Amino acid sequence: MGSRALLLLAPATLAERFLVNHFPKYGFQQAFKRKEEMLRVGVRNYSVHSSLERPNVPRLAETARISLTAQEAEEFAPKIQQVVDWFGQLQDVDLQSIEPAIRADTEAGSFREDSPETFDKREAMIAAVPSYEEPYIKVPKVLNKD
Amino acid sequence: MKTKQQPHSNFTETARAKAVEKALKDFEAIIGIETHVQLATMTKAFCSCAYSYGDQPNSCVCPVCMGLPGALPVLNSKVIEYAVMLGLALNCKLSMNSKFDRKQYFYPDLPKGYQISQFDIPIATNGFIDLDLPLEFGGGHRRFGITRVHMEEDAGKLLHTGTGNYSQVDLNRAGVPLLEIVSEPDMRTGVEAAEYAAELQRVVRYLGVSNGNMQEGSLRCDVNVSIRPIGQLEFGTKVEIKNLNAFSAMSRAIDFEIARQAALYNEGKADEIVQETRLWEEGSQKTVTMRKKEGLADYRYFPEPDLPEVILTEEYVNGIRDSLPELPDMKRRRYEDMGLSMQDVLFLANDVNIADYFEATIATVPDIKLATNWIMGDIAAYMKNEKLSINEIKLSPQELGELIASIKSGTISGKIGKEILFELMEKGGTVKGLIKEKDLVQIVDPVEIEKIVDKVITNNPKQLEQYRGGKTKLQGFFAGQVMKESKGKANPGILNKILLEKLNAKS
Repeated sequence: MGSRALLLLAPATLAERFLVNHFPKYGFQQAFKRKEEMLRVGVRNYSVHSSLERPNVPRLAETARISLTAQEAEEFAPKIQQVVDWFGQLQDVDLQSIEPAIRADTEAGSFREDSPETFDKREAMIAAVPSYEEPYIKVPKVLNKD
Repeated sequence: MKTKQQPHSNFTETARAKAVEKALKDFEAIIGIETHVQLATMTKAFCSCAYSYGDQPNSCVCPVCMGLPGALPVLNSKVIEYAVMLGLALNCKLSMNSKFDRKQYFYPDLPKGYQISQFDIPIATNGFIDLDLPLEFGGGHRRFGITRVHMEEDAGKLLHTGTGNYSQVDLNRAGVPLLEIVSEPDMRTGVEAAEYAAELQRVVRYLGVSNGNMQEGSLRCDVNVSIRPIGQLEFGTKVEIKNLNAFSAMSRAIDFEIARQAALYNEGKADEIVQETRLWEEGSQKTVTMRKKEGLADYRYFPEPDLPEVILTEEYVNGIRDSLPELPDMKRRRYEDMGLSMQDVLFLANDVNIADYFEATIATVPDIKLATNWIMGDIAAYMKNEKLSINEIKLSPQELGELIASIKSGTISGKIGKEILFELMEKGGTVKGLIKEKDLVQIVDPVEIEKIVDKVITNNPKQLEQYRGGKTKLQGFFAGQVMKESKGKANPGILNKILLEKLNAKS
């Protein structure tokens, strides 16, 4: 009775590869182990469905203020896509019954007392500013935020 | 609404008021306000640099607020405290767990290339604020919704030199903690919007979280205005107005915008109203287009990885709730219950310093009516003339109480009281001291007064004859002479009684 019950509870991912009534004679637990092995050995399947948006590389470069030639943009696009798809594997995780976390860390806040301290190397910082006209930092004229 | 402005041409004011009145017959104005409050903490939000307005440029900086590589932010615990105080004062629901996010864009006054803010989980949401409209605009109670309150940091200051192709950056202000308050679009007129802002100012000052000064930039308001034909459910196109430096400017800018949008509707050009940001020009008293934005900004928000979650405990929140001071609206209701008129209530409660002064005075002498009259009358006039705040006049509330008591008990006359008030406000001192020094005790002994009356009558036979001949108005003359003789100390009531007797005696 045990193994029949387990069959019914087999996770959806297994169903892709193995039809329930065609279970190999060594049982479902072994079948599961085989899938694990495949992943461990590095059989990466890059056609994993990614419901993440395809990155628009020229636009990304624009917003990040990194200049790319058209050729560079074309070259980078598939590489960026690969990284996105690699993360995309997380989309497969069943999150139905999981409460969303606000942050990934578990350590709660570390705070600072509200008491002033003067930074003692201010002159060095100012000296390192490439374009400084006492007492201001000199910048090109920009009128519109983007 | 109490800020002083240059007097504007009456024509423009009335013409605009008329245009708005007409517009509001056919249209409903939907107004929302975004307010940034600069917190009065000793240090910045994420580093220990001090901040004070007016410091030498780039003198209060460190690697964190200058955004130098490798520097990490550490949150100032006072910022959370002030955020919770304000959230509670605005009747909000607090997020017991919230986080910071990066709002990313490039601009010369933003050293890190992103602003640390709170995007989807602000520390407080869903609140409201109660206020009373000024009597000169019809009065009335209003409640406006508050959508959210969140914590963020300020950017530096960018100065544009008139000529030249460069600008100047001062990073003193970069990293100063701000609370952003977003209202529900509940306001319907410029007056309501201005009073909402004034009430926020009152609240932050009462709480002590900010000095809420629009001129200094510690209170900044941006207004969103749209109109829709009365009865229409769909909202019209929203226009944002920036560069408002006073509550009255807010009101006038909104009026202008309502009139402008209504005019376009009426000319069949409603589609010329576009979603944009306009600047209020104080000089020409109108809103003008900034360069139109091409699409919405993409800030690429993501959770700030360098800062941990902000977790509030029930204990912490309750502790703060229990220590909140009495808020302006509570005070106004309490003053109303004391029996004060709405006019008195608004005057006394609108400034927390005046309210404290008033309460200290009635703690000394529980005569509410007299205390109110003195504060709103002679004292307010003096403050206005000398351009002083109530904390700067030398008369202490305890001495005001003493003054009221002295007049009530008949020790000095009301007239003398008024005279020494001036000296007390200017030079300080005690009421008892002045009374003694200047020998001001009122004369109430009828025998004493009779002596003086007799003397005055004897010395003025001509006027006596005239009086008895029919010129009864001369009683005033005699009374004046008696007062002069007694150095103002004769009790007026008794004086006149005796005087009348004597004057009418031998007719």
